[in-house]
Amino acid sequence: MSKKYQFKRRDFLKLMGAGAAASGLSSPILSQLSPLAFASDSPLSNKILVVLELSGGNDGLNTLVPYGDDAYYRHRPTLGIKPNKVRKIDEHFGFNPDMSGMERLFKDGNMAIFHGCGYDQPSYSHFTSMAYWQTASPNSGGSLGWVGRLADSLDPAITPNYLVNIDATQSLAVVAKNHVPVVFDDPKEFGRKGLFRSRPLLDTDRAPNENSTTAQRRLLGLAKSARQASEKVKSACESYSTPVDYGISPLDLNKIAALINADMNTRLYYTSFRRNAFDTHVQQPNLHQRLLTYFSDAVSGFFTDMERIGRADDVVMLVFSEFGRRVAENTNLGTDHGTANNMYLIGNSVKGGHYGELPSLTNLNDGNMLHTTDFRQVYATAISGWMGLDAHEQVLRHRFDEFPAFG
Amino acid sequence: MSANIKKNLSMTLASLTIVLSASLSWADDNDWVNNLEPIPEHDWDYAKARHLIERGGFGDSPKNIERLVSMGPRAAVRELLYYEGIPDPLPKFDHSNIHDDGIEPFPASRPAATKLAKETGEAIGVKVKPSGNRRLQPVVDRFFYWLRASMLETRRVAHWWANRMLLSKRPLEEKMALFWHGHFATNEEKVRDYRKLLNQNQVFREYGTANFKQLLIEVSQDPAMLSFLDAGVNVKGSPNENFAREIMELFTMGVGQYTEEDIREAARAFTGWNYIDLQFVVNAEQHDSSDKIFFGNTGNWDGLDVIDMILEKPVTAEYISGKIYKFFVRDDIDPKTKKELGAVLQNSAYEIKPLLEKIFLSKDFYSSASMGTHIKSPVELVISTYKKLGLVVIPGVPDFYDTTESLGQILLFPPTVAGWAGGQSWVTPGLLLARGNFVYDTVFPNIKFLPSDRYPDNYQIGVVAERLAAGADIATATQPEDGYATSASNNMVDRDEEFNTRLGSYRGWRTAIEKVKPISRAPARLNITKLVLDANCQTSEDAINYLINRFFSVSIDQGTRQQITDFLTQQLGTDNIPAAKTFSEEALRETFHLLLSLPEYQLG
Repeated sequence: MSKKYQFKRRDFLKLMGAGAAASGLSSPILSQLSPLAFASDSPLSNKILVVLELSGGNDGLNTLVPYGDDAYYRHRPTLGIKPNKVRKIDEHFGFNPDMSGMERLFKDGNMAIFHGCGYDQPSYSHFTSMAYWQTASPNSGGSLGWVGRLADSLDPAITPNYLVNIDATQSLAVVAKNHVPVVFDDPKEFGRKGLFRSRPLLDTDRAPNENSTTAQRRLLGLAKSARQASEKVKSACESYSTPVDYGISPLDLNKIAALINADMNTRLYYTSFRRNAFDTHVQQPNLHQRLLTYFSDAVSGFFTDMERIGRADDVVMLVFSEFGRRVAENTNLGTDHGTANNMYLIGNSVKGGHYGELPSLTNLNDGNMLHTTDFRQVYATAISGWMGLDAHEQVLRHRFDEFPAFG
Repeated sequence: MSANIKKNLSMTLASLTIVLSASLSWADDNDWVNNLEPIPEHDWDYAKARHLIERGGFGDSPKNIERLVSMGPRAAVRELLYYEGIPDPLPKFDHSNIHDDGIEPFPASRPAATKLAKETGEAIGVKVKPSGNRRLQPVVDRFFYWLRASMLETRRVAHWWANRMLLSKRPLEEKMALFWHGHFATNEEKVRDYRKLLNQNQVFREYGTANFKQLLIEVSQDPAMLSFLDAGVNVKGSPNENFAREIMELFTMGVGQYTEEDIREAARAFTGWNYIDLQFVVNAEQHDSSDKIFFGNTGNWDGLDVIDMILEKPVTAEYISGKIYKFFVRDDIDPKTKKELGAVLQNSAYEIKPLLEKIFLSKDFYSSASMGTHIKSPVELVISTYKKLGLVVIPGVPDFYDTTESLGQILLFPPTVAGWAGGQSWVTPGLLLARGNFVYDTVFPNIKFLPSDRYPDNYQIGVVAERLAAGADIATATQPEDGYATSASNNMVDRDEEFNTRLGSYRGWRTAIEKVKPISRAPARLNITKLVLDANCQTSEDAINYLINRFFSVSIDQGTRQQITDFLTQQLGTDNIPAAKTFSEEALRETFHLLLSLPEYQLG
């Protein structure tokens, strides 16, 4: 018998729509419930982008180990991972010992690795740097996220559920001007409880009136989008089960698989390895190896699952962290906040290999790597090369040189 | 209807009318926005008194709000602020007695614990077995025991705190403690010691409305914070910058007010600050006593010097006042207001009460830009709902921890050192539904409720227990569930034969729930019928208007009120509330759920 991830049925309530249907009230949602209706009527491209954030500042040097570079071992006499331990992918690089899934994805030619990604005048603050990455606006303010802006640009028709963020709270990355991102964490909780008789009133869309304040208007809009999204998400997760092993911590990628499996209209997904997990200031080795194992298992499980449901050609994943770590280890068996880092694009449609110039481990600025690639070049590559929006400056505000990682 | 009831009814309706007309007068209050002058006595009314206690506390009953109205704004604000004379008879936290000396110092990780045990023959107060299989197992069991016991006890601390928020006659004391917890956010998952979190919570209560300098020093020397931001490993020769960075970025000044060099130098100044168990200590030999250059000043600075220099900067006073403003008033602060409030804080040598008094009396605080525009945090939502329902204890079902977790704010487990983002981020489509479901679960508690402080949310623990009871050997009992794992993480679980982490996980949980006292699981004792009868509601319309007035901070449009009124009338089979009193509770609860599911209920 194989290990299955299944969203447990016991807590599901047949919540939305049931009361309205029984009482004969028409509901705009009910007409959308048939899977055929939205699968066949959809004019959308099939291409899906999944963004996975590794929060806390992942130590890129111990993720993809430059075992061919002596300088690495000089900077990391204790934390450096010995050449015989790494999972070698070529003469220079190898993955952290338990990242068998990522190793396979690279060797299958489905992974583009972008080296030295960062930005000028880097911030060493988690929150600031993460905000820079999420808004794609380094050293500047921004209230909209780049994934939110991408949704607005790609889909001016504002297709419901186009943008999904799986998290307990909404990420800055998905804040959009026009789209209301669907944000949920536990699909079981993503529905409204309510008695039969209360249903029609609970499910009534209320329009704002001339006295409504901005805060009230926003809440009424959210209520509407919640109603539209919740039934779809719940039924998608309820009907999904998979024999694929995502490892100890699926990083919500199994939820994304469930929604893709249900043919949701979602084209942009944003999820995170949460809670600043990669902030490994002290006692890094065991902890970091474990985190990377979960990450690698979840990602490779996800793509195996995409193969299984026949959608592997339609999905590309972008992986990033808000910064790398300082090149030299600290004296607490850990590493402190740093600068340049690797980014990844993964998927069948990706032209695998190395992109960008390798940052030097000897020519450092105050102990930190000098970035060689603006991280927005990788965003531009995903936006134009994959999602097909040539004018990526609509999203990123400037034009960037793309990498030939697609087509 | 007796004359007396008629009189009371007309009073209730009169105060409703006042509220409605007050909200209409907002249209032309533009000169109140960003105006820090005190509000005139004659503008004080029910809606403003309700707003004061909603923001300065967790809301209150109409009776208490009427009392604040009769006091006038100055006396009402002073009662809220200068609460030291108000008795605090609430019980202290009731420890389960889970800790003992052997646990200190608790190893940084399970591998660190087993490594120590291998090297010394003992760890966490437990000796290695002299021979046989899984010699290190008792150490691993013990490691998981403390991890789980401390986590569960921390949930009891949060539950105890929630009861204080609900019941304290000094609501601002608890509200400020909540503010400082979000400001100096410290998470049990890293600290791994409920006692440190409890002590820190007490610091917030003791110094939270006193002096910010003193509070900052207390927090900087508090073992919870020292442990959370790795100050314990910040030593001469190898400074760790975590605390030095956050004290400036998050706790006092904000990004951009200092250089990376200042952070490095400050880290050196803080070297040697450490803790032993619950005690702050300075290890003189680990303190770097050479000169540091901080903000351009050269000297042999220590942590207190750095704090002094930070507090001298006007930007610090502005940052702190701005954050307090954001918590109590609204998300966006006008730059001029920020400067003015910063000056109030700095001129009072960082005494917090003058600042709060200025804010709570200002026209700006009562302007249309502020009133009814704040999205209640999950804790504010839950506590104020209970308080307005007149509850005298936090219900056990729904569970406070589970509820606030599903709404995105777990006390003593903030997501990062930056605390909760707050504001609009509190409400997303999913969270809006979850907020309505909290109301449902309060009026219709789940009768198949499983307490998550007894029943492990990690299903593997249960599986291991069942297999052991059925006679399986340990290796078999702790196999991954379906015996077929392709992921590296599932294959490595049983790699080391000196111990078995899954067995340790099961035993740790079992011992923890033996020792940690259970939380009472009584649901809310609700009586909404009594609530509306006591208010002399005669008709369904009275009842709906009364409930809106009691629970909402914004007005609800007439059409919606009418629909809900009709719903109640239909469920009762009459619109006569007193006539329906023997059977009205179920219908009133359904109606209550409907009402509080309105999106406007999120505004306070």
